Amino acid sequence: METSRSMSLWVVLGAAIALIFAAIYMAFLYAPTEAMMGPVQRIFYFHVPSAMVAYLSVFVLLGSSMAYLWTRRRGFDYVAVAATELALLFCTVVLITGPIWAKPAWGVWWTWEARLTTTLVLWLILAACLMVRGYATERDAGARMAAVLGIVAALDVPINYLAVHWWRGQHPQVFGPGKKDPLAPEMMHAFLLCMVAFFTLYLALLFLRSRLAAAEDRAQSLMDRVRDS
Amino acid sequence: MNNYVYLFWGYNVIWALIALYVVFLAVRLSRVGRRLDRLESSLRDSDDD
Repeated sequence: METSRSMSLWVVLGAAIALIFAAIYMAFLYAPTEAMMGPVQRIFYFHVPSAMVAYLSVFVLLGSSMAYLWTRRRGFDYVAVAATELALLFCTVVLITGPIWAKPAWGVWWTWEARLTTTLVLWLILAACLMVRGYATERDAGARMAAVLGIVAALDVPINYLAVHWWRGQHPQVFGPGKKDPLAPEMMHAFLLCMVAFFTLYLALLFLRSRLAAAEDRAQSLMDRVRDS
Repeated sequence: MNNYVYLFWGYNVIWALIALYVVFLAVRLSRVGRRLDRLESSLRDSDDD
């Protein structure tokens, strides 16, 4: 059972790496250069999938946090830790690559625009989830507080997604209602492959991090047994 | 518009962050694996005693 699980993890990780190389090829060599923004537009191919994966991870965090609060089974908490860290990782990628694109496109690194601000708020809530775990004196109390914060983080996702509709900020909106054929076919192919690559990478990292959380928990309980014996 | 420098740094940031995270996971996994082996063997020794 354990061997087949390890095997499937390596298969998913290998597939993710192969897909990433294919995605880089598509983003740089297959997709044409955008006429208005030039080469910097190619950040889009990895910036948007990072944001989508961050959203997905927050929804995984929401599901696992609710399941943990309901059942108190540690397995759900392992998934919640993994989802929190990965959401924070991909949110960090979004918050760094966004300004790198914004500087040549808008002329400024950062503006307190609704989409950007709510993304920063999401990053802060996710960081708070990890800090609550780290500083809690009792493991289960930390997991409970982090689960509650995980649910709060999920509330920010629909606000973040709809921010461009509600407050009409500067952030470009490529997809959405009324956007027919938003990208040239080659750009769309490259974008879709980047999405698949990032989702596969996310899956592999989620498995890996959940396994690490389970192993660390087992090590802690063995440590307690050694101390008692 | 010549903005290759931004593109270069944008992609470097993405892959550097992901690679750092994967290394961080690999180091912690191997460390916890060693710790588990040590603890299991010390528990076996105490059971034998």
